Amino acid sequence: MSGDGSGAGDGLAARRGADDAVVYQPAEDSGLLAEAAVAEAHGRVLEVGTGSGWVAERVAEERGLDVVGSDLNPHAARQARERGVEAVVADLLSPFRADAFDTVCFNPPYLPTDPDNEWDDWMEHALSGGESGRELIEPFLADVGRALAPDGVVLLLVSSLTGYDEVLGLVDEAGFAAEPVVEESFPFETLTVLALRRA
Amino acid sequence: MDVICCPLDKATLELDADEADDEEVLAGTLTCTECGETYPIEDGIPNLLPPDMREEAAA
Repeated sequence: MSGDGSGAGDGLAARRGADDAVVYQPAEDSGLLAEAAVAEAHGRVLEVGTGSGWVAERVAEERGLDVVGSDLNPHAARQARERGVEAVVADLLSPFRADAFDTVCFNPPYLPTDPDNEWDDWMEHALSGGESGRELIEPFLADVGRALAPDGVVLLLVSSLTGYDEVLGLVDEAGFAAEPVVEESFPFETLTVLALRRA
Repeated sequence: MDVICCPLDKATLELDADEADDEEVLAGTLTCTECGETYPIEDGIPNLLPPDMREEAAA
């Protein structure tokens, strides 16, 4: 990776520090998604909401696959690129071609958030799934079948806080069958990574 | 990147490179061949947000 070519060193260091403050850094959920993605990914891979790019980098390094990372947050896209991930700034799947990817990974912002308590900055975008916790999961599932190749797989992280059964309902509506790949319980939530394949 | 398209109408994007190295375009513009909307590439990163979200997300 050699992305440091442009700009003065000081400017870059300052920018990197500023990016860290507004980009979701790898946590337990990232670790679980990476574990599932390394096990299940094939072909061309997209990570939606890549954040720091850590999961995308794991898949690229451990599986030797081509991975694209996309994020709404330009600071995140920049961090992902610094890790050597091909990065784009995008809203979910909107700028990706039909059948473009064999694997799509997504650790969505999933915390149910009272609209009165939304704090409207990049970290909120990275964490909040709106009132239901599913405000990003719904449009993602509605569109992912378009960008996914016929024998493709979607790896979706689901928290018990987001409503596991409700997410399974959305998966079914989108025409996919779900199979849990990894699961781990924490004091306040259980995290599951589902592999979704066309039903 | 042959995996991307216009976020508005999913049509093909045409690339204008202003600055490139051996591997990739560092700065340039992607223009939709259908609706004519343009999307910037800065520091090697295409910004493919629809225009209304691009302004909102300006950092």
